[in-house]
Amino acid sequence: MTDKQLDEVLEELGREHRAIDAPDSLQRVLYAAAESRKSAIGKPRMQFPWAWAAVAILLAVVAVAGAIWRSLQTHQPQTEQAHTLPAPKVSPGPLHSSPVTARQSVEPNAEPVREAVKARAALRHSSPPDAPASSSLDAFVPLPASEGLPNAAELSIVRIRLRGSDLQQYGLQTPADALAQTMLAEFAVGEDGLPRAIRIVR
Amino acid sequence: MFERLRRKPLESELTDEELHRSALAGRGEAIAALYKRHGGLVYRFTLRMSGNESIAEEITQEVFLALLTQMDQFDAARGSLSTWLCGIARRKLWKHLEHSKDALFDFDEHTAAELPCTNDGPAELLLRQEAVLAVRAGMDELPPLLREVVILCSLEEMSYEQVARILAVPVGTVRSRLHRAKARLAGLLRTEMADTEGERR
Repeated sequence: MTDKQLDEVLEELGREHRAIDAPDSLQRVLYAAAESRKSAIGKPRMQFPWAWAAVAILLAVVAVAGAIWRSLQTHQPQTEQAHTLPAPKVSPGPLHSSPVTARQSVEPNAEPVREAVKARAALRHSSPPDAPASSSLDAFVPLPASEGLPNAAELSIVRIRLRGSDLQQYGLQTPADALAQTMLAEFAVGEDGLPRAIRIVR
Repeated sequence: MFERLRRKPLESELTDEELHRSALAGRGEAIAALYKRHGGLVYRFTLRMSGNESIAEEITQEVFLALLTQMDQFDAARGSLSTWLCGIARRKLWKHLEHSKDALFDFDEHTAAELPCTNDGPAELLLRQEAVLAVRAGMDELPPLLREVVILCSLEEMSYEQVARILAVPVGTVRSRLHRAKARLAGLLRTEMADTEGERR
């Protein structure tokens, strides 16, 4: 067989070949596939508002969270500042009969002293008859070792329960029968923390 | 004039690109029109290569569904839609051939069209018919690489450039493969015809 003959046969076969058409059944399948695609394309468009709403809600949540966080950040230093503020000065309360030990620290302050003196005076007025009648610093006995009584504004009153023998360390003479007795005394303490005067309450 | 302006263009008047866009938008008529235009080529190619109608239908359907799903892979600037479709069909076909080699070449000869009527006498007609059958049988004997070139170049009458694009090979490779395929076919036919002559004597 020559090449020409082969080409003729192939041409013949080609005509026969090209007469074959694609089956119509596939056309229906593809049509349905394209149409279903149309509905699939339509769905995201419908979902768009929902997507935007979701994004908006998310942003709102983030914004609220941010605001809360910022407010916490701003409040926290304030509370820390409040913690670091110096504690307010405690002024001695009105004198009462409860014992006060020497270990208790009392911040010397003139103003509380005045108030304490006034309160003590008021207490004295209502105190039982066995209480000393003195209503001022005059009732205090200056301690021998001290430099004398300063102004009342510079003094603080400290009430201490002590034994009679303890008075000797302040340079005071104590009767022998009172050495073992426990007594309540008030010390007038100067701004330097040193006791200046004493008064035996009972 | 207004009638003409208002007239919706028929699918047959639209280009492949327009139909493709329309099909992507979900118009069933557009994909049907594309199938009418190019379905035959894809189906024939896969049928002649696989020799199996159901495989050919399956692959043709997959190719046109790929047209809907792999929309971004078709570039009109790089080639025509028919070339692109044929390329996809070829890849799918080769994948199929690799997996099931037993499904090849049970192509029903009766599905082929009848030979056209010519002015030849009965003897010439018989000879020609025998030659056609022999060439067809010889094509089935060809290795797939050579067979696809014969199908596309000789049967589908595509240009070398188009075939080269489908096969993703240089044009020179297409030429050489076609040459080899024809030489082998001629050899097969010579043997076949010699056997037939011997039987007649």
